Amino acid sequence: MSAVSLIARDELRLMRRNRVAVTAVVLLVILTLVAVVTSWTHQQGIAAARAQHQAHADHAFEAQPDRHPHRVVHYGHFIFRPLGPLAAFDPGVDAFTGNSMFLEGHRQNTANFGDVRQSSPLIRFGQLTPAFVLQAVAPLLLIFLGYGAVARETERGTLRPLMLQGASARAIVLGKLLALGSVALLIAVPAMIGFALIAGQAGAYAGPMATIVLAYAAYLALWVGIVTLVSMLVRRRRDALLALLAVWAVTVVLLPRVAPEIANRAYPLANRLQTDVAIARDLRRLGDSHNPDDPHFAEFKKATLARYGVTRVEDLPVNYKGLLALEGEALTSRLFDHYAARDFAAQAAQNALVGAIGLVSPAIALRQTSMAAAGTDFEGHRRFLEQAEAYRYDLIQRLNRLQAEAVTYADDTAEDAGADKRKRITADHWRKLPEFGFRAAGPDALVRASLPGLAVLSGWLVVIGAALVLATRRLGARR
Amino acid sequence: MVAIRAARMPRPPRFGATPLMMQETAMPNPNSEILIDAVQLSYGSHHVLNGLSLNVAGGEVYALLGGNGAGKSTTLSALLGFVRADAGRVAVGGIDPARDPDGARRRIAYLPENVALYEHLSAVENADYLLALSGTPRARAAIVEALAAAGLQERAYDQRLAGFSKGMRQKVAIAVALLREVPVLLLDEPTSGLDPRATSDFNTLLHAVRDRGTAVLMVTHDLLSAADVADRIGFLEGGRIVEEVTAEGPARFDVRGLRDRFAGRALAA
Repeated sequence: MSAVSLIARDELRLMRRNRVAVTAVVLLVILTLVAVVTSWTHQQGIAAARAQHQAHADHAFEAQPDRHPHRVVHYGHFIFRPLGPLAAFDPGVDAFTGNSMFLEGHRQNTANFGDVRQSSPLIRFGQLTPAFVLQAVAPLLLIFLGYGAVARETERGTLRPLMLQGASARAIVLGKLLALGSVALLIAVPAMIGFALIAGQAGAYAGPMATIVLAYAAYLALWVGIVTLVSMLVRRRRDALLALLAVWAVTVVLLPRVAPEIANRAYPLANRLQTDVAIARDLRRLGDSHNPDDPHFAEFKKATLARYGVTRVEDLPVNYKGLLALEGEALTSRLFDHYAARDFAAQAAQNALVGAIGLVSPAIALRQTSMAAAGTDFEGHRRFLEQAEAYRYDLIQRLNRLQAEAVTYADDTAEDAGADKRKRITADHWRKLPEFGFRAAGPDALVRASLPGLAVLSGWLVVIGAALVLATRRLGARR
Repeated sequence: MVAIRAARMPRPPRFGATPLMMQETAMPNPNSEILIDAVQLSYGSHHVLNGLSLNVAGGEVYALLGGNGAGKSTTLSALLGFVRADAGRVAVGGIDPARDPDGARRRIAYLPENVALYEHLSAVENADYLLALSGTPRARAAIVEALAAAGLQERAYDQRLAGFSKGMRQKVAIAVALLREVPVLLLDEPTSGLDPRATSDFNTLLHAVRDRGTAVLMVTHDLLSAADVADRIGFLEGGRIVEEVTAEGPARFDVRGLRDRFAGRALAA
């Protein structure tokens, strides 16, 4: 057996004989297994509930009776964001962003019903997911098991005798790394079980799954390296433990929570009220279709009459009120898109800043990689919002077009006793409207999105690896 | 007594019969297992070794005596490759420890003053682990035999070291050193903390080690023990050997004379 294997075996033997260490590992493995099972069932429940709600919403929309198309515009429609299979591993921002939207004419609503608003306050402090356990708890266990790996040998004076038995500094460090790496592997096993569960699901892509495995392996390897490095650099175990706990507290707890606050201050987002007021003000500037003197709509009317070669709206071959609705929706949607783009830009800047802070916190880099590969990051949410808005606009304009083409202007403006019935069109029209189908990002896009975080983790590995090489050269060289 | 399987080293010629022969420095002997020749070594501005020369051949025990700060531990560190000489030559079996520490250490068994072993392992497990690391794994029977030879009680073989006394730990370390069967044994205050009986047992063991051809360099304050086992005694002062005495006849050394002279030097130092 090589010196590296012997040293690793002895380190593991020491851990095995330490009841606290064994208990901690067993507890973490159980915790991860519980996280896998609860997260899996939770996500399955969410997926089933959303599918059920979507079916109910679709049914209710299609079950509308014969009616005027504009009433359907205001009846609206609910859509729900389906979750990808990897959300069971890392639900990302899903619990916070909301997962359903109410689509209606003249308005661009935001997503609603995020889990944090509906569940117990505890969910705000972090859902128990395999990702959370590996990101936050596993490094803590590695610290408690490994802080004394080399510092203990230095403190108790066994380091030099070890080297004098022929074990090189390199073999000692590699042996310690191997032992702690084996523990990291053991910790990761339950998460791999979770992955095996996910692998059989529709939409579970191999590329993103491999990226997640790679990212978490790099992250845990990084912590194995950091723990061993600090243990090499100090002479006392107590100092190693304190230093490592400080590193953990700053990089895993503090920075990931402070970074969004910093980003929010650097790139503030307008709140809902401010945005609504600004949109209302801009809408007034755009014009009022009910005001015959409104310059924009007066011009629109003039252009429409000219296009059809008539002088009165009553003579148009289509319903002028439907054309007005089409034009109004186009105008307001452009305005909504403008404000949405502004918000998206601010959020992208915030995320970029958080990513930059991730250069000093591997936990942030890992979280971004993990969420990106799982499709549960902000980009995934934005994808849902953009597709929802595209669908809303198409749905409303189809209804407006129905008003223009299937309801006559005369009927639409009539106020006699039978007019209401004549304004209605058959319910078949709603049933023929397309349903919302969320198109999740493909595997290539998910992997591409996770590359920046993966690059940061790789950079950290290189830095820690180089530091380990330098520290190994100095090992045992003290007087 | 533990079985000795190492190739026997050629015994050095016994020294002349002149009692208390004095010499200023050792003559470099290129065939010595341990060779230190005109070594200068400083820690910053503090000169620790100042032209130190000594050599120890296979089958010889050399006791290095000196006051605190005389450079005894630094001499061992230089032989172990933990510090590099500023000038002069250091060699273990012809290998420069500063250039090839692993190569030099493969030839050395080292017994520090404070034996550091693994508390979570038993005596047998400690020996098994350290011997495997040194590339000389031994069967349990051989380890037990060595532990017995070192004087460790049988009931302690499979006990974890957490409850061991200093003497018991030292016996485990001695057993490991014996089992490695290397040509060089370095001892740093080996009898410090041992009771008279254990010291006597240790000295007997050292005779056996010397007889199988091992070169032994012992750094010590214990003049009686040095006089009992050493073939030569060198007195280190100011980073160099200022006097060297060779054992002669059945009486070996004039212990009283040595004590008076060395005590005077130590006090002066």
